[in-house]
Amino acid sequence: MSRLAKGGLIDRARSLAFTFDGRSYGGHAGDTLASALLANDVRLVGRSFKYHRPRGIVSAGAEEPNALVELRAGARREPNTRATVAELFDGLDAQSQNRWPSLDLDLLSVNQLLSPFLGAGFYYKTFMWPAAFWEKVYEPIIRRAAGLGRMAEAADPDHYEKASTFCDVLVIGAGPAGLMAALAAGRAGARVILADEDFLTGGRLNAETREIDGKPAAEWAARVTAELASLPNVRLMTRTTVFGVYDSGTYGALERVADHLPVPPPFQPRQRLWRIHARRAVLAAGATERPVVFGGNDRPGVMLAGAVRTYVNRFAVAPGRRVAVFATNDDAWRGALDIKAAGIEVAAIIDVRRAVAASLVQQAKAEGIRTLLDGRVTATHGKLLTAIDIVADGRPERIAVDTLAVSGGWSPNVHLTCHHGGKPAWNGAIAAFVPGTVPPLLAVAGAASGAFTLGSALTDGAAQGAEAAEALGFPVPLPDVPAVAEESVAIAPFWHVADSRGPAFVDLQNDVTAKDISIAHKEGFRSVEHLKRYTTLGMATDQGRTSNVTGLAIMASLTGASIPETGTTIFRPPYTPVSLGALGGHHRGKDFRAVRLTPTHEWAKARGAVFIETGAWLRAQYFPRPGETDWLESVNREVKAVRASVGLIDVSTFGKIDLQGPDVGTLLDRVYINTFSTLAIGKARYGVMLREDGLVMDDGTTARLAPEHYVMTTTTANAAKVYQHLEFCLQVLWPDLDVAIASVSEQWAQIALAGPRARDVLARVVDAGVDVSHEGLPFMGAMEGSVLGGVKARLFRLSFSGELGFEIAVPARHGAELAQALMNAGETFGITPYGIEALGVMRIEKGHVSGNELSGQTTARDLGFGRMASTKKDYIGRVMAGRPGLVDPQRPAFVGFKPVDPSQRLRAGAHFLKIGAAASLENDEGYMTSVAHSPHLGHWIGLGLLQRGPERIGERVRAYDPVRGGDIEVEICAPGFIDPEGERLRG
Amino acid sequence: MAEHWSHPLDTLPFDTVPPAGHYGVADMTGVAARRIEGLSIATLAPARGAEAAITETMRQALAMELPGASRAVFAGARTLIGTAPGRWLALSSLDRDIAGTLRAALGPLAAITDQSDAFIALDLAGPKVADTLAKGALIDLDPRVFLPGMAATTVLAHIGITLWRREEATWRLLVARSFEAALLRFLVSSAAEYGFELDARG
Amino acid sequence: MRIPCPYCGERDAHEFSYLGDATPARPDPAAPDAQDRFFDYVYLRDNPAGAHQEWWYHAYGCRQWVQVERNTLTHAVAGARLARDARDAAGDAAGNVPGDAS
Repeated sequence: MSRLAKGGLIDRARSLAFTFDGRSYGGHAGDTLASALLANDVRLVGRSFKYHRPRGIVSAGAEEPNALVELRAGARREPNTRATVAELFDGLDAQSQNRWPSLDLDLLSVNQLLSPFLGAGFYYKTFMWPAAFWEKVYEPIIRRAAGLGRMAEAADPDHYEKASTFCDVLVIGAGPAGLMAALAAGRAGARVILADEDFLTGGRLNAETREIDGKPAAEWAARVTAELASLPNVRLMTRTTVFGVYDSGTYGALERVADHLPVPPPFQPRQRLWRIHARRAVLAAGATERPVVFGGNDRPGVMLAGAVRTYVNRFAVAPGRRVAVFATNDDAWRGALDIKAAGIEVAAIIDVRRAVAASLVQQAKAEGIRTLLDGRVTATHGKLLTAIDIVADGRPERIAVDTLAVSGGWSPNVHLTCHHGGKPAWNGAIAAFVPGTVPPLLAVAGAASGAFTLGSALTDGAAQGAEAAEALGFPVPLPDVPAVAEESVAIAPFWHVADSRGPAFVDLQNDVTAKDISIAHKEGFRSVEHLKRYTTLGMATDQGRTSNVTGLAIMASLTGASIPETGTTIFRPPYTPVSLGALGGHHRGKDFRAVRLTPTHEWAKARGAVFIETGAWLRAQYFPRPGETDWLESVNREVKAVRASVGLIDVSTFGKIDLQGPDVGTLLDRVYINTFSTLAIGKARYGVMLREDGLVMDDGTTARLAPEHYVMTTTTANAAKVYQHLEFCLQVLWPDLDVAIASVSEQWAQIALAGPRARDVLARVVDAGVDVSHEGLPFMGAMEGSVLGGVKARLFRLSFSGELGFEIAVPARHGAELAQALMNAGETFGITPYGIEALGVMRIEKGHVSGNELSGQTTARDLGFGRMASTKKDYIGRVMAGRPGLVDPQRPAFVGFKPVDPSQRLRAGAHFLKIGAAASLENDEGYMTSVAHSPHLGHWIGLGLLQRGPERIGERVRAYDPVRGGDIEVEICAPGFIDPEGERLRG
Repeated sequence: MAEHWSHPLDTLPFDTVPPAGHYGVADMTGVAARRIEGLSIATLAPARGAEAAITETMRQALAMELPGASRAVFAGARTLIGTAPGRWLALSSLDRDIAGTLRAALGPLAAITDQSDAFIALDLAGPKVADTLAKGALIDLDPRVFLPGMAATTVLAHIGITLWRREEATWRLLVARSFEAALLRFLVSSAAEYGFELDARG
Repeated sequence: MRIPCPYCGERDAHEFSYLGDATPARPDPAAPDAQDRFFDYVYLRDNPAGAHQEWWYHAYGCRQWVQVERNTLTHAVAGARLARDARDAAGDAAGNVPGDAS
């Protein structure tokens, strides 16, 4: 065990058991999986992505490139989780990944031998290989060998949520700067959200041994956190990563509600995706340490210096027994002193600089630490690190260590400042990129802005928090900033030990080496954007947290350009990976989108209806009877019953729009191609409306109930679109028109009653005095009346099926009652409920157009409505419908089709060709839009669009359907296979 | 590790309005929802140039002030909600036919449309209403911001609603009838962690 | 993105549907070159990098057409007004109808 005897912010009273690769270990509350593994001397945790090299834990945070593991098992298995941020819980089951058969013995490490082929530009070069090589080598072997963890194979049993919240000031990061910012804004009375990805606030204060106000800094952090928690206007969100900055002050955040528990507590989601709307924000995301690149730098035991310090101070874990520190900056020296103070042997500090502040050198020497200036690490040894080769002051030496703590300096976490396209700017004094142009109303404080000392973080945080609150009108008493001693942050820019031996990794997660960068340079991929794509540097899930700066610095040294000249790639959301479950939230499975139910839904369900989704609506597709085994059998029965006697269907899903006012007729004349201002009261008319580009938008019947009151119906699919269009006409085009519209789609349940017996049935449900005779309600008549003993109703004599038909609208709550009353009234006639399949068959038999023909690519002329268009008025789309291309007589136009051999099936989508013509694009004459099996005719029938179709009735063409292998002869006929004279519906 | 609880949506048929009952955490009711029956509802839109006359008539005949913004105005059993410039929703829990009442009072001054069956009305009460609604809404419903008398026509879990706060702890929302099941599924799911009491008929 | 609806207040862009450029006016359908003018009206759009006047329909709110000035580079919204008010301000009270030669 490497758990230190004392110290740390773990709860030693709470022991937690967990397994890694099947072996049992113990840890404590407050541990991460990484700290617990190190406490148990587990140092080999994974195999690398491409070369399967053994890898250990590198960091102590979200930047971890190596220690990716699978957490949990079965349906909850979650791959590629960073062990460094996975909070330990009792019973945690973790597995290493990308190794076979075991982590210790990984046979796929032979990939290392393939490294000449897997280097820079590998992906692009494979495209130049022969295709056979792709199929035989690339796909089966390399894909399997290179990779990450395994997905769960069952649906995730947990639930996820999304939520919105609003605040005045969002503070991102609860380190010293963030705590001070939240305190300043919170005390001023602003609504504050303080979010941190960690489960513990304090940031670096938990990892270092600084004092604030004479107390350990972690205690100060806890005290400030407690004050913030007590303020009603402050919301503390730990375990919450702000991952993206969006427009208008909107921030995306992921709250890991139950990732630190075996299963979510009762009725809690696993994760919650927050959309935070903040009037101001302070980014206090801290900084990330970066390594130095040298040969053998990926050996388990080589870690970031700050991480070693964090494991020692926060988790009371000794990552090794004998540590060397390889540094370019002063901060690493303080880390070395912390490590030594915890009782761990520090063999040496190797610093690339010739001169280091005398006080640091003296302190190190006083602790008995060798200080080797002008030094560098040139090689490492051991499967797990056993020794390093160094050169210091020109003298080579081998030092036996099991841990090498490396620091190449710190990079401010500028990621979120780039989300609006801002480019970071180089700051030579700290050898790091700092925020450049930042998103509006976001300020950066503390280490994230490059202010690396603790004192400046506290001061800067307080100032930025106060400024944000003050800008929003909150009177701000600036909180006292605790005084702390100023520490030195000197650094020498140093990136790569060029004379080191062995593969020198820049990007550990994607296995990109310094040599790959030099290949990219040689092959001409020198801009940072090319470098990134060509080598995949920084393209792993860690987004190059620890590799971007070193990678571009190495490229800069190759090109001879400076780092600011070389520039950097920018960061895009998300800051850390976000699960798809969280992005979906409540909307998964059948809740993917809200389902709309018709007023007769339960009624139809009780009658055994099979339902189908049509847009958001769930509609009865057909009503199978016992013994019917095939949907077509049920549909044929329903169609025959309607044509022979009577049937009913719920058509409530049609859009219904109430139009009132003196100018309704004028409006309708301008939106429909035909005239409605002359429509008689008590009559309905079929209308077609165009888009302004001259193509058909929608169709439907509109009835006039009173001089200044019309009611329009639209197709189900276009209900919202037509309403929006009418509002555009009234608000934008012709605001002088005095018309008020209201959607009444939901107010009225509407049932279509069709068949020769329809009037007999209807007569039994209308109230006394309501005349539904042919004289009282003629074809295309509309009236208001009442049914079922006092239920107000609108009655229309309309037909989509081609039979005598009525539509009866009643207030929606009475929809099912009306359906049942019609069933009772029609019992003697064998009344049959039918679904939208039968409706579709009957409209095709009758030759009516529907959604397949109103495709957004057809004109009124194409569909046979040319003569309906008024020439006496303007209407939307009229001018553009006259364009030569839209009046070309060669345009495919609407006709019917029947198979020459009646036993053959038609297919919608089949294209028409002249008999004998080759199947080529230039010979294409149109296509079949709708087909149905007509029980009335006993064979398949179709509708479609054919060049000069109406002139070619009786001719035969080829219906060619290569997708499903159909190629048959069909005869062109008039659309309307049943009762073409319309005697039935007028009867 | 064995499941020790199951999510209420896992066992509710998706195409059925969830039945009355208690959902989620057993011994708490963070949100109580009650379906309000018998409301008569109408939309009201003034004819061109008639806004002033309507305002006056509403004041005289019905003792109601037309809200000039997205607000709720209460007068006895009647409520007026501003939904758009020159558009109001009128509701009454006593009038059987608010549309008829308005028509009688306003005559040709306004276009009035009965919408009594277009909406399902739900009353929401309890300490966790705002937290629950925040899981689907994209507006600021913080009780310190969205005060009693405020109203909004907006979305909840991608479903259009009109919502207003009646009193300190009571909120009412209208949702299109066809979306009732979908909306209640969202509420059941979102309020389960606080304890959700669904009372079907109020 | 948030859009300040003149009636409802600031709302998420999810509540709106987008139409596009708000500057073209419906041409006079009786003009001798009506077809050319309509072609421009329907199809020709400037694609400015910067300030853009555009139509947004508040579908899930007050169902008003709102003219929004949005910067296409930054998505910053400089202002919004109802269609009617926008038309009044532009001195163009109505779209063209037959016989209207404006």
